[in-house]
This record gives sequence, C-alpha cells and structure tokens, in this order.
Amino acid sequence: MTLGDWKEPEGEKFALGTVKEQTHWQEEYHRLVRETVEQERALHPTEVETDPQTIGMRIPRNDALYKVRGRARYAGNIEMEGMLYGRFVRSQYPHARILSVDTSKAKTAPGVKGILTGAEIPDDRLLVGPISDDTPILAKEKVRFAGEPIVAIVAETEQQAEDACLLVDVEYEPLDTILTPEEAIAESSVTIDPVDGNIITDLHHGQGDIEAGFAEADIILENDYEIEPVDHCFLESPAGVAFIDPDDVLTVLVCTQYPHYHHKQLARVTGRPMDKVRVVQTVVGGAFGGKMDNTVECASALLTMKTGRPIKMVFTREEVFTATTKRHAMKIHQRLGATKDGRITALDVRNLFDGGAYRSYSMICSGRCVIHAGMPYRIPNLKVHHTAVFTNHVPSGAMRSFGVVKVAFAMECQLNELADKLGISPIEIRRINGLVDEDLTSTGQTLTDVGLLKSLDAIEPLYEQRKAELAGYSNGTRRKGLGIACLGYGIGYSGVRNPSTARVRADVKGVVTAFCGTPDIGTGSDTSLAMVAAESAGIAVDRIRVVSGDSTKTDDSGPTSASRTTYFSGNAAHIAGMDFKAQFEAAVAGKRDVPAEEVRLQEDAVIVRNERMNFEDACQLIGDDIEQIGGYGKFDPDIAVDILTFKGNPYPTYVFATHLVEIEMDTELGSVDLVKAWCAHDAGTIVNPTGAEGQVEGGVAMGVGQALWERVVREGGYIMNPHYRDYLLPSAKDVTQEIESIFVENHDRTGPYGAKGLAEVSLIPIPAAMANAVTDAVDVRPNHLPMDSEFVLDLLNDTSTNVAGE
Amino acid sequence: MTMDVTLNVNGQEHKLAVEPTETVVNILRNRLELTGTHKDCSMGVCGACTVLMNGRPVSSCLLLAPQADGQEIRTVESLEHDGKLSPLQEAFLTFGAVQCGYCTPGFLMTATALLEENPKPDRGEVIEALKGNLCRCTGYKKIIEAVESVVGQ
Repeated sequence: MTLGDWKEPEGEKFALGTVKEQTHWQEEYHRLVRETVEQERALHPTEVETDPQTIGMRIPRNDALYKVRGRARYAGNIEMEGMLYGRFVRSQYPHARILSVDTSKAKTAPGVKGILTGAEIPDDRLLVGPISDDTPILAKEKVRFAGEPIVAIVAETEQQAEDACLLVDVEYEPLDTILTPEEAIAESSVTIDPVDGNIITDLHHGQGDIEAGFAEADIILENDYEIEPVDHCFLESPAGVAFIDPDDVLTVLVCTQYPHYHHKQLARVTGRPMDKVRVVQTVVGGAFGGKMDNTVECASALLTMKTGRPIKMVFTREEVFTATTKRHAMKIHQRLGATKDGRITALDVRNLFDGGAYRSYSMICSGRCVIHAGMPYRIPNLKVHHTAVFTNHVPSGAMRSFGVVKVAFAMECQLNELADKLGISPIEIRRINGLVDEDLTSTGQTLTDVGLLKSLDAIEPLYEQRKAELAGYSNGTRRKGLGIACLGYGIGYSGVRNPSTARVRADVKGVVTAFCGTPDIGTGSDTSLAMVAAESAGIAVDRIRVVSGDSTKTDDSGPTSASRTTYFSGNAAHIAGMDFKAQFEAAVAGKRDVPAEEVRLQEDAVIVRNERMNFEDACQLIGDDIEQIGGYGKFDPDIAVDILTFKGNPYPTYVFATHLVEIEMDTELGSVDLVKAWCAHDAGTIVNPTGAEGQVEGGVAMGVGQALWERVVREGGYIMNPHYRDYLLPSAKDVTQEIESIFVENHDRTGPYGAKGLAEVSLIPIPAAMANAVTDAVDVRPNHLPMDSEFVLDLLNDTSTNVAGE
Repeated sequence: MTMDVTLNVNGQEHKLAVEPTETVVNILRNRLELTGTHKDCSMGVCGACTVLMNGRPVSSCLLLAPQADGQEIRTVESLEHDGKLSPLQEAFLTFGAVQCGYCTPGFLMTATALLEENPKPDRGEVIEALKGNLCRCTGYKKIIEAVESVVGQ
C-alpha cells in the first residue's frame, strides 16, 4: 500500500483485499444478514408499528467476514514502501539516574537510519499521559521502572534495529527503590515523582456517622484482602505505523481504544497544527483497557518526521508484560457492621493501590473504587479512605472494570461471611441490603431502573436446586461448592461529562454511513451501533457501513472504555438515526410535493401515501440533494461529582448482576475447577444477544484466570514471568463450556431502546463467587487473589484461618 | 549465510534463500504477504501462528525454514475456495466465535486439522485439540460450539 492510498482508501479500510474481493464479501454479508433477519422474524414475529425490527437480533459481526479469512488489517500487517522498523532501548534498573546515553556505536550499525533520545525532545513536549502529562516519551534524566524506554532506533529490518539497541551504552546511577504501598506512605529518603513525591492521590469519602453505625451493629467483621497485579493479555501486542502522507499530514495507524487522545497528544508533541495530524485505529486484537496509553505512537511519529520514512513499531510479548500498564496490585482492609437480622449498619474501607512508576489511569481507577465501595448495597454509614501511591513498578492503569473487581472481591466475600455467621442464605443477605429503585447511592444519586433484585430472583431457584443436589457431596479428596456474588457498576466516565456523537449520511446509490465517535476494539460495537442506527432510521442494518476510529472523520467522543459505547454512542446513533429519517422523509416529500407527514421511511422502504418504493429508488429520487441530508446525534447526560466530597451524580445509569458458580476442588492438590457459571445480568435491553453472550463468556474466562492463576510476579522491581509459559492464561480446557448467560428484562429509560452496557461487568463477580464457592466446599475463607494451589493448600493446612477454627 | 529452501505453501512452491534461523511465521508474513498467520508470544504457547505442516498443526513461530523445506504448509488463506468460505469459517461467523479475531486463524487451522483427522470428534476431543490456542475475548464457548456444528458435514 502506498502512503496516498490511506487518504481515502477504497472500500473497507480494515480489510486486506481488492475492491472486487471486498464487493464479494459485502454481498456475502448482505446475504447472511438477510437470512438471519428472516430466520429471527419467523421465530419471533414483530409488528412494524410497535416492535423493534433490528434490536435484539443475532446479527453477525460486520468485520467477521474478513477476520475468518485472515484478511483483517491489524497494524502489524501493514507494510509500506521504504518502511523502517523500530525498537526501544529499555531501562535495566527499576530506579536510577541516567548519567549518560551513548548512541555512537548504534548510529553506524548496519541498517540503522534513525535514533531518538529523550534529550532531543524539548522539555515542554517530552511528557505525555492519558490523564496527567507525567510520562517521558523517552526517559532523559531518570528511569522509574525496569523496562522504561530510553532510546528508540529505526533500521531497515527489525532485527537490525534490535541488534543496534544492544550497542547503546546507558550509564546509570542506581537509586533506592520503593516497591510497596507501605514503603511509599512511610517517611522515606526515596522520592519517585518530582511533583507529588510518592503519593498519586489520597481520597476520602463517606456518609452518615460511622461510629454510630458500628455502635448499632450486633456483629462486626474485620478482614484484610490482597489482590496481585494481572496483565490484560490482549493477544495482539501494541503496534503502529507512522508516516507523513502526500498532503503533509502526520498519520499514525495504531491499535488503540482512543484515536482522538493520540491525535491531540501527537499535535502537542510534534508541534503540528491539529489539521496536520491524523490517527486511524487499525483492527484491534483485544484491548481490555490496556490500549489507552502511549506506547508506540509518539516515538514512531517523531522518528518518521526525523527520517522522512514510514515507521513500524510492534511490541514483543515480553515488552507487553514489562512495559505496558497492569491492573493495580491492591490491599483492602474492610470493617463491616450489621444487625443480627442481616442489615448492614456500617462499612469502613481502607484501600492501598500500587500505582507503579507513573500516573496513567490511577486517578480514574481510584475514583471508581471509592464510588463503588459498598456497591450494590445500602450502606447508611460509610467511610472510605483510598490511597494510590507511586512505586518503582511498571505503571498500573486501566483494566476491565477500573479496579472494581477487587472492591467487589472484598465486599462480596465479607457479605458471605456475614450471611454464614448470621445463618442467613447468601441470596437473602443480598436481598436485605441490595439497592432498589429510589435508593440513594453513597454519592447521593437517586437510582432508577435498578435490576439487582431481578438478577437475584433469576439465580435463586438455580441456587436452591443445585444446593439440594450437591448436599453432602464428597468423593475422596474432591469437594464441590457453590458461590454467589453480585455487582453494581456505573456506565461511563466517573463524574465527568463524556458526550458521544454520531452522524448518519447516505449516497445516491443507497449506501448509508454511520460515523460513530467511539471505535470498535474487538467487542463488536460497530455492529451494535449499526443496529441502533438502522432501527432508528427505519432501514436495513446491512445497508449501514460504520466509520469509527478515524480521528479526522468523527468527533472526539471519548474512548471505548468503561462499558460506555452501547449506551453513550448507542444513544448518539439513535438520535442521529431519527434525525436522518426525518430529513430523508422531508426530502422525499419535497420531491413528490406532498406534506412530510405523509412520507414514512420504515422497513427499508419509503411509503408515500399509498405508494411504496425501495430505499435505493428513494435515494435516486432525492438525487444530489441527498448530500444535504446529515443526521446528527449528540448524547451528553448531565453528570457531575464534587471532586472533594464525591457528592453528585457520577454516572447516568448503572448495571447490576448476580453470578452463581459451581466449583469442584481437590483438597490434596489444592486445585479448583469451575464446573458451571450462571450469570444473570441487568444490562438493560440486549441489542445483539450473540455479542452480549460473547461478552459474558469472555468475562467469565478472564475472571477465572484472575481468580485462580493470573499474577504478574515481581521481585526487586523486576517482572519475573514476562511470558505465557509462567503467566498462566485460561485455555479451552480450563474454562467450563457451561456458562449460562441470563439477561433479565429491564428497560433503562435513558438507554437506546432501553440498553445499558455489559462489556466489563461480567468479569467483576467471578473471583468473589469463586472464593465464596471455595468457602462452601472446604470451609476456608480465601482473602487473596489468585487462589492458586499453593495458596489454597496453605489455607487448608492452616487451622488458624479455618472457618471451623474461628 | 543463507541457504536455499523450497516451501510448498497453499499449493504453491516458493524457492527462497533463507537464514537458517528464519522462522516460517516471519517468512509467511514478511516475504509471502500471508499476514493471516498472526504472531504473538513467539515461544509456541499461544497458538496464534498455527499453520498446518503436512496436515498437522504446528506453531510457525518455532518452525525454522530448513525444517519446513520440501514440506506442505497450509495457512488460513487456503481455507476459502472460489470465494466461498469453508463450513468451519462460516460457522465461526454465525456462531459469534470471532471477537477481536487475532486468535481466529490459529483456531481455524487447529480445528481444520482435527476434523480432517477425526471427522466426528466428541466435545472432549474438540477441547483437547483446541487447548493449545489461547483466546482472551470469547471464553471459548462459542468457538467450541462452532467447531461442533460442522462435525459430520
């Protein structure tokens, strides 16, 4: 592909294929969708006037046709004439002063065409970051974690770049390190950050009278929980291509969750005007929160400007482990008070967050952990103290749920303990305390459309039945157990407005394009947004081509994160679809000289009085005037939170769920296996059941990994297991195929066709539910993630932590 | 030092001068423009680079060019015939077995080999065959259902 081809690529930019091939694929997609729609209509007849025509159908993903052919354009697949390949020289020390950087030998190495050091980047352009600009593109004076980039080298081949990296001499003066939150909080001669010392943020939140709450309690539980850091393990490592296009636009093609963020950052870092920068998202091979920070973008952009040649940079798997963000390591101390009939009277929470060497998303994750303390329950008296600190570990950042999975682990384990001690069932204790409509959250927000109890209702009979069936089960060293956990989760940014926009346009041939601000990161959101836009416009879903992830073709609508795309961008697509429909009907009315109210666009056809014409003919009728039609939708709910008190409405809506898991474990081996998971979700209306089930099943698998095996092992500031051999991911053999997704009926009054969101949340209850099942099976209370065999055996052998010994 | 090898890839012979340590995944991706074979861990654990050598699934990141000399290699690009998807590819599509898609070609090749060798595998055999391919998005359920749906076809 040449540089100019990227200006307006013919056909689908994500598909590697000729125009002829792509036309064929498109026809195939039309056929598949039409077949699906016919089958679904036959199964579930609908009324045009009253029922959704597209929402709720199992529409195949619009990108799967080229993904199953191996023809998807991931960034690593892009080649260009004259391309150079880049690698980084990375810090050997977790904390050190850089005394000198000598690149003279690397400069003359075979194939080397360009070298970039931090010293070459002006100070006011050196620091970047998603929330705070604190992370050097290349470290200049000091390194704060082992693996931090110091020099970037580009060469004719990747191997030459890699070889040249070994020729760079960096002279360090090692500094003492801080490796635990406790060390960071204590008085120390070591300072990691020049502005904030060793504390990223220290947050307080609460309501009621905590002392009075505990005084009222008949029972008080006090526990410590510890959660080890985990990696996103998206299979596609960060990769990008940077070049200057023929119109002098710096273009970066990169796998990211947020092209507009990189666009703004690159403009600042390169000193280019905004209209001389473009960031295009390539097909994303998984993200889970880990593709929202700068990785290859800034260095490759600066190097393409320096060398005048296209640059490709791809991280190795080891670099992913050692140099991209992790889920925070966390310690939680929690004190819970309740009356003897199970009503929570007080909750006192102390959180410690290992933020690593730079801020990344620590502030955001911290805010979420504070707001979600005690979710999804009524806590009349609450006190939360949350501290996130700097350490000399790789930075911690965003990952599926922004930390809430850990808060839920503590809360849900403690709630089960409370139920056990009071002789109340784990379902009942949640029913007693669970949030319902008109309840106030700890931030003072009044809740509506709360489906928590509906999810409990869905799980209760399954739980009772399995409990009766498993009673007394014991087979040698094998035991079985059931565990329950719930969740409540706010959709979108925490307490900051984050609007989404969409535009819907058509051409005379009848091709409709929906421009959506948030990109598809592998979840299938482009297909869901096409479904919403089609529903609202009254046209067939396969007619719609979605353009997303191009920073010059859509408005900045925030990242695809925080489970926000279906709700925020879905609402925008809904408004834009309706606007398109109204403008289209008016245009046809104008051409036929009838009042607009006598024209209807529905079921992919236009009805003018008694005449019915197909959509293409209507587009022809409108002719060139069709360019005047532009459906526009903006969704910008009024949310705000006081940053000191956390009072206000942090999210426009909340999702809820109850999970039940059945496990089988071996008391001799300490091993735990998931037998079955029943996942009841209030995600509002389900736009695409196949996609929604895929999110739940994937979330359960990720939750099982975090519950049982996954752990980034760190010693002395170094990651000891930076590859899949020693960092164990769940395989097909480890995750049960018995995952039942149950979507309770709950229509959100503010969501597009009643939809809320789902992507992150199916993960959240799993580790807690697994821990509670371990307790049910063998009477020990895990307080640590992961619950690997060693940990479980220690628990089983330690009578002091045994429930029976309490 | 380079050496001459002949790779038979998707029915086409390629005579190539290679470094003895050059991996087949790099040759496919960088020299034959067959980028459907993806690369991730580079140590034979994740399965993203799975191709078939003489009908058997192998990690092409660990397969050196001389080892593949004269052997028959098949990649994901070979599954489609005359513009028509294989039943397995179509099943991945309709069952929702594809999310981000990065692992998909590897799963398709492993499952293709399974079904060629054992046309009627039971669920346990399907899982056993697929356990060397990692997927972070789907939780495997829909992948296994997709493979099972074409058993006997």
